[in-house]
Amino acid sequence: MNGRSPTIWQAMQARGYTRRDFLQFCTVAATLSGIQLSGLGKVVHAFETKSRPPVVWLHFQECTCCSESFIRSSHPIVADILLDYLSLDYTETLQAAAGHQAEKSYHDTITKYPGQYILLVEGSVPMKDDGAYCMIGGRSAEQILREAAKDAAAVIAWGSCASNGCIQSANPNPTNATPIHKIISKPVINVPGCPPIADVMTGVVAHLLVFGRAPELDSQGRPKEFYSRRVHDTCYRRPFYDAGLFVESWDDDAARQGYCLYKMGCRGPTTYNACSVTKWNGGLSYPIQSGHGCIGCSEAGFWDNGPFYQHLPAFPGFGIESTADTIGALAGAAALGGVAAHLVLTNVRKRQLINIDKKAGGVAAPEEKEGGDQ
Amino acid sequence: MAQKVQSMAGVRAQPRIHAYDRVYVWELPVRNYHWINVLCLMFLIPTGYIIGNPQAVFSANEPYQQYWFGIVRFTHFASGMVFFFNFLFRIYWGFVGNRFAKWNNYILMKKAQWRKLIEVFSVDILQLKLTRPMGRGHNPLAALSYFVFFLISMFQAATGLALYASMSSWWFPKLFTWIVPLMGGDMAVRQWHHMAMWGSIIFIVFHVYIVFYHDYVEGRGTTSGMISGWEFERKEDE
Amino acid sequence: MARVVVDPITRIEGHLRIEAVIEGGKITDAYSSGTMVRGFEKILKGRDPRDAWAFVERACGVCTTVHALASVRTVEDALKISVPKNAELIRNIMFCTQMVQDHVVHFYHLHALDWVDIVSALKADPAATSSLAQSISNWPKSSPGYFSDLQKRLKTFVDSGQLGIFANGYWGHPAYKLPPEANLMAVAHYLEALEWQKEIVKVHTIFGGKNPHPNYLVGGVPCSINLEDVNAINTERLNHVGKLIKDAMTFVNQVYIPDLMAIAGFYKDWGAIGGGLRNYMAYGDLPTAGYNQPESFKFPRGAILDRNLNEVYDVNGRDGEEIKEYISHSWYKYTVGDEKGLHPWNGETEFNFTGPKPPFEQLDVEGKYSWLKTPRWKDHPMEVGPLARVLVAYARGNAEVKEVVTETLAKLAVPVDALFSTLGRTAARGLETKLVVNWLKGFYDDLLANIKSGQVSTFTREKWDPSTWPAECEGVGMTEAPRGALAHWIRIKDGKIDNYQLVVPSTWNASPRDAKGQRSAYEESLVGTPVANSEQPVEILRTIHSFDPCLACAVH
Ligand code: HEM
Ligand code: HEM
Ligand code: NFV
Ligand code: SF4
Ligand code: SF4
Ligand code: F3S
Ligand SMILES: [Mg+2]
Repeated sequence: MNGRSPTIWQAMQARGYTRRDFLQFCTVAATLSGIQLSGLGKVVHAFETKSRPPVVWLHFQECTCCSESFIRSSHPIVADILLDYLSLDYTETLQAAAGHQAEKSYHDTITKYPGQYILLVEGSVPMKDDGAYCMIGGRSAEQILREAAKDAAAVIAWGSCASNGCIQSANPNPTNATPIHKIISKPVINVPGCPPIADVMTGVVAHLLVFGRAPELDSQGRPKEFYSRRVHDTCYRRPFYDAGLFVESWDDDAARQGYCLYKMGCRGPTTYNACSVTKWNGGLSYPIQSGHGCIGCSEAGFWDNGPFYQHLPAFPGFGIESTADTIGALAGAAALGGVAAHLVLTNVRKRQLINIDKKAGGVAAPEEKEGGDQ
Repeated sequence: MAQKVQSMAGVRAQPRIHAYDRVYVWELPVRNYHWINVLCLMFLIPTGYIIGNPQAVFSANEPYQQYWFGIVRFTHFASGMVFFFNFLFRIYWGFVGNRFAKWNNYILMKKAQWRKLIEVFSVDILQLKLTRPMGRGHNPLAALSYFVFFLISMFQAATGLALYASMSSWWFPKLFTWIVPLMGGDMAVRQWHHMAMWGSIIFIVFHVYIVFYHDYVEGRGTTSGMISGWEFERKEDE
Repeated sequence: MARVVVDPITRIEGHLRIEAVIEGGKITDAYSSGTMVRGFEKILKGRDPRDAWAFVERACGVCTTVHALASVRTVEDALKISVPKNAELIRNIMFCTQMVQDHVVHFYHLHALDWVDIVSALKADPAATSSLAQSISNWPKSSPGYFSDLQKRLKTFVDSGQLGIFANGYWGHPAYKLPPEANLMAVAHYLEALEWQKEIVKVHTIFGGKNPHPNYLVGGVPCSINLEDVNAINTERLNHVGKLIKDAMTFVNQVYIPDLMAIAGFYKDWGAIGGGLRNYMAYGDLPTAGYNQPESFKFPRGAILDRNLNEVYDVNGRDGEEIKEYISHSWYKYTVGDEKGLHPWNGETEFNFTGPKPPFEQLDVEGKYSWLKTPRWKDHPMEVGPLARVLVAYARGNAEVKEVVTETLAKLAVPVDALFSTLGRTAARGLETKLVVNWLKGFYDDLLANIKSGQVSTFTREKWDPSTWPAECEGVGMTEAPRGALAHWIRIKDGKIDNYQLVVPSTWNASPRDAKGQRSAYEESLVGTPVANSEQPVEILRTIHSFDPCLACAVH
């Protein structure tokens, strides 16, 4: 390997993969990117000769916390990723070059390696008013995304912003913030979370590189490897839940003993993420372990499922603390009231009818006879 | 099925002097459906409500000493399953059952049904008149309410199974997972599943009341009808 | 006359565009534009005030937590909640952790490449690098073998022809003045800092469940303390925090500060460039006796006008005449007319894009040209940030701050005036990090002492239930984010957010000019900056980076 870091092909050989496996991997990478099979040669070539796959990381409407999360990765650590795994050719957060030079890095990569670079996208794309709500180098996010996605070998949507629109798409979505899979026609690997767990992010990238294929995705484009279970399914507080032992109020005795946070609004039962298993920041903790419920940050539309501190979301148009129960109880009471009123009415209006059988030799009232239409 | 209609005119029916027809309306499968359904709801509603609003009980125990919330949930899922298959059966019976059980009773498509519905509404509900002629089987207003209830049942079963899919490795509930993204995530599904519970509660309030009303006011034997299958009709109404 | 456009400005958070006018090798005018907006202030309307922290925290993942802190304070201020001592201490610990991590990451990963030529590091002698490193610090990873291994790794990387994040940098530009050995040492610490920064944030993970975006709570903190249970903050968790703090002190004192001083020594000329505005403001933070006692803050509150360190003015967030936001050059419209300023309680956020349709080459800087609003204090443009904090504390006579400032100026042999510069900004950031990491330890010790005295409460229940709230109320929550004075204003009506406005440090610094045409800090600091080669405007990056821009914050 003459001192250079191994190419993907070399790395796979070292792991005992055959040439056939390698070609298979290239086929999958090509299929994933939606490029024609005729482009396969290029992919094979790229992974055979390039020691590190070229990567473009775009930033749109976001808070950069996905990048921040990424650099918190503990296995592998991000220094190794930057030096040994990937060639991160464009990322506004870390790259040395700025302005024209930065744009040159971007253009070099997408033109020199068509069908061979991995596109990572952080942030959503505003589709309103010609994209005036997110412009980079004088171009709109949408223009850049379409161009960059065209020849990408694989597209990963980092975080809830790129996967489902996240906070800027919360009601009333002032900029028409749109997740990328709704804009480009390629398959997108969605890695939701606000932000996603660092080790999940590097895990998804490593899956592509090490196993040579995209991780298996669910119907929402999320890797099953990290998103097939609810936080609740593997939450260490689950025994408290099943036993019906709940925190009733912040910092009460139950909270101090780590009871289940369900009644404090925990969204674990409706949230698909790896938090309770992989945990955060090197497996140290996750929201629930540190006493706050899950707010559902990897679920599409979670911002509009508030208020966060009650089990059921507010009912649109019925005030902030109204739940389905508020509305239901009101309607139920109205129904009972209606029934009671009807009962009273009946006893007044139909007294005659009710009493009729009680009268000795009761005879049907005259009106009754008029009615028949059958 | 007219042969099942027997005249009771000759039978000594004291102290009443009305002549009654006894009509076999509710076949056994329909009655079975009905009471299994009632039983399921007696479990589903309280357990569902508790799932949404667990009360603080036995809160001094340790988790390994109890499992009550788990049991509540299990009861909900188990009765939910029975509820669902019972409902499926009823749909089937809507195609093969007697004329009172047929689906076209519930989906009002004939002008006459709507005319009758308005009449029932003005006599039974608004009480603009004292009586109306009675027919056999469901009156259209009742039928409409059952139709709405069937829709609720369908919705509850679908949303319930969609939620259940993530807790089960059985293939069957997985058939319903597409509902989750369609409705905008598990949270939204839960929200609507919970909301629809109130829909069924309101149905039950009206339904049980009106069944007793018909007996109380008109003396039709409605209540026992769902047990025995027979309904009574005054002869002179024919 | 040349118009230089730098867009994207990289190694910052967010989308910043600088247009500079260069005449005779010097910048004569500059325009700063934020080109991305999300509409937080519109999205927050009508929501539960207790949820607001989670929303605004997402304004930024780099200074994550500071908006959450400002938000819970804002709501607590409106509802007149004061939090238990433990909550105050844990919040302070989270605050200090954030500031230390953010400053170190800024220095190494966002700013260093303006001063450090990574390609030149290949020419360094590892043995000489080792003696250089050992001469400035007793940090253990300084052996010749360590540096030569690193150099080999770097060489393999460069030889691969794939420079990744280092591609197309201004390598070899004459403005780079460090010897190869200093460059190699800096590269080593670039990588070490990258690894260390993910450790210190674990303090957030322990108290807030995750980082970025740890959890907060109106009325306290969400983590409970219990020394008799494994399911709460207990001795093991506290020990972990203690260890992280100890390591942070070591890293700051043995790596960051020595590197900063070493690098600054080669760039003293930048002590006379990039000063910009003459006014500085800090809201102050790190309460030791409650948020409503600014006198007790570790970082004092105040404003300085015209660089006069003999007088410090009080700053009042409630006064409708002090802090106002203008939009004369911002893509918004006000119902009261675009020339007026609005106090944030009456603030409005209505988009009004009048710029060129993308793709475009140049902005219309005569009209509106940015998504940032323009905040003013008593109609003065103010610089906020580490330098402002240090100056306000210095001028207020804070002994700790005075001591480190005097010591540093003496070490570098530069006059006090050198503080008002690009270098001054970068140095001030280091100096306060040194203080903050000590305070971090202090707050940790206080927390242990408080728990030892039997106090475990972390939350006050009193005003949690919205039925206990007044029909209408308003609050302001101020803090010091790493980039400077941050405040949120809220108006609550019938239990819901009626109006919520964020005025953010980078909004102060990066905003377009105001109705009177006064420039804000970025624009003003660029005027007069020499640019040797307008094709490689590394000087622009140096000054802009010295502010540590965060545009997602600034616009929100
Ligand atoms: C009319 C019939 C039903 C009613 C009234 C009902 C009611 C409810 C209610 C109120 C909840 C609590 C929702 C919440 O607040 O989180 C619930 C939860 C649930 N129900 Fe039903 N339900 C019905 C039928 C079903 C059926 C047929 C199934 C299918 C198996 C089902 C499965 C579930 C599941 C899986 C949950 C979530 C429980 C959990 O995550 O712990 N339900 N139901
Ligand atoms: C949980 C409570 C109940 C539910 C959900 C329920 C539901 C239903 C449904 C769906 C039908 C239509 C049956 C069909 O056409 O297949 C029905 C009919 C009927 N139910 Fe119930 N039922 C409930 C309780 C009761 C009770 C307590 C009684 C009286 C003892 C009762 C008596 C009847 C009768 C007599 C009919 C036929 C009446 C008519 O044609 O209008 N139900 N019920
Ligand atoms: N400007 C800004 Fe922030 C900071 N520091 C927040 O208030 O960076 Ni994202
Ligand atoms: S998904 Fe959340 S964390 Fe990531 S950039 Fe968007 S707002 Fe930030
Ligand atoms: S804390 Fe949340 S995720 Fe954990 S068991 Fe309780 S409800 Fe489920
Ligand atoms: S809030 Fe997010 S971080 Fe995990 S526990 Fe919930 S998905
Ligand atoms: Mg604002």
